[in-house]
Amino acid sequence: MKDAIVLSHISKRFELTGTAPTIKKLILSAGRVKRQYTEALKDINITVKNGESVSIVGTNGSGKSTLLRIICGVYKPTQGSIKTCGRLYTMLDLGSGFHPDLTGMENIYFNGAVLGLSKAEIEERLDNIVAFCGLGNYINEPVRTYSAGMLMRLGFAIATETAPDILLIDEVLAVGDAAFQEKCYARMAAIKAAGTSTIVFVTHDMHAATGFADRTVWIREGMVYMDGGSREVVNKYLQELDASPENLPEFRIRENKS
Amino acid sequence: MFKEFRNIINYRYLIYQLVLRDIKVRYKNSVLGFFWSLANPLIQVATITIVVKYIMRVDIPNYSAYLLAAFLPWQFVLNGLADSSEVLLHHRDLIKKVPFPREVLPISNVLSNLIHFLLALCILVVYLLVFWLFLHGSSLRPGFLWLPVLIILQTCLLMGIAFVICTINAFFDDTKFILNALLNIGFYLTPVMYPVELVYTKLPEAHRDWLFRLYMLSPFNTLMDAYKKLLMPPFEGSVAGNTVTSLPMDWGMFAVCAVICISVLFLGMDFFNKRKHLFAERL
Repeated sequence: MKDAIVLSHISKRFELTGTAPTIKKLILSAGRVKRQYTEALKDINITVKNGESVSIVGTNGSGKSTLLRIICGVYKPTQGSIKTCGRLYTMLDLGSGFHPDLTGMENIYFNGAVLGLSKAEIEERLDNIVAFCGLGNYINEPVRTYSAGMLMRLGFAIATETAPDILLIDEVLAVGDAAFQEKCYARMAAIKAAGTSTIVFVTHDMHAATGFADRTVWIREGMVYMDGGSREVVNKYLQELDASPENLPEFRIRENKS
Repeated sequence: MFKEFRNIINYRYLIYQLVLRDIKVRYKNSVLGFFWSLANPLIQVATITIVVKYIMRVDIPNYSAYLLAAFLPWQFVLNGLADSSEVLLHHRDLIKKVPFPREVLPISNVLSNLIHFLLALCILVVYLLVFWLFLHGSSLRPGFLWLPVLIILQTCLLMGIAFVICTINAFFDDTKFILNALLNIGFYLTPVMYPVELVYTKLPEAHRDWLFRLYMLSPFNTLMDAYKKLLMPPFEGSVAGNTVTSLPMDWGMFAVCAVICISVLFLGMDFFNKRKHLFAERL
């Protein structure tokens, strides 16, 4: 089976800027400025096979979202190489890739355009998208008036109907109501069964991870802490959270020691 | 760079959507909005004409038509570049959360300003038609055929500069203030309000030719002058006691200008390309 995503030795370092830089500051400091960095990801190696479903778990600030952004190409890794195969769809946030002033319907076109689809390709899928998200007449209201749940519905409908080769979802499904979440997971299961898309999703819902993902990757302090069968990894993860809830890692700047 | 071009072409529907949205916002979906957006430059042209003609006593026949011929292209420069400093910031959410070729943003910004410019040009054409057909009994000048070439060159130039400006603005927040100052100065440095011949007569006689060539090396100067020379007939007038006569169109300098415009486009795109992967972190 071919590999959909190959991450080898990925590291990501962010420069801490503090306040907004200005040209004046640049001239005044003239190279004397001490640059501070944080290591968001360290030496990540993950391979995802075609058609596989992988969930990513970890505490806040562990680097899960940074990892997704590197996979989809919004961030460029500081070190390491990445290979992806096929067309991607990313749901990094509610309403990402939407324009707030356009209506839901217009946003289907806009979002499709952001994905690089043509008008004909979008229109082909329009009816299915509208039917799946179940927004009724709200589809003709501007997206800025939408609730979190409505944004998620529209985003997920576009994401799955456009049949991407790789689907990346950050923790956004949580805002859907129980019935719609059920619908989403059923849809993802159908995609998985058909084997058409590779799915990588970040979740804090351990039932989703164990029930749906073939494999779970636990990211801790910017590194792959565990990578294996979902049940095994989730059990370990929950054990650690239960064992030391007061020791949950705080947000801290991880500096490069080398 | 070839790969980038193909990628941009694949995203042409996004460019179309972004341009359409810009136009809709600018004209607020109304006919009146369109007229308001044109009223502003026309009021400015009328004001400058009155000041120059009746207060400063510059005697150039049909001054307002000469002014309009360069003023509208200058508005394209002004709006195209001023908007470009903010274009990445406006689409911050998109850049941070969706992967797509970032070039699309400055390109669609310049294109929507181009469309606005083309609509404004219609007014100029009507103005000139009234002028030549009814007041002078002659026909439109053949120089009009060069108009598409001028517009394409100007668009290339602006796109190249817009690529650079929006990149710098992603890293330094005060870029737009400096840019606005430069654009304000630029209006007086380029031959929009005054004929380029005035600069020629003011240069020291011994070094006049090469100094003037140097001045015309700025593609803005050559383009603004070309709009006047190609759309309007040669003139003879007097400015502050100096007699000023039209110089013939310098096609050699125009060719140099064309090369500069196209080079700026490629250099600007290259500059943008080398830094675009940082936008998502910096904005």
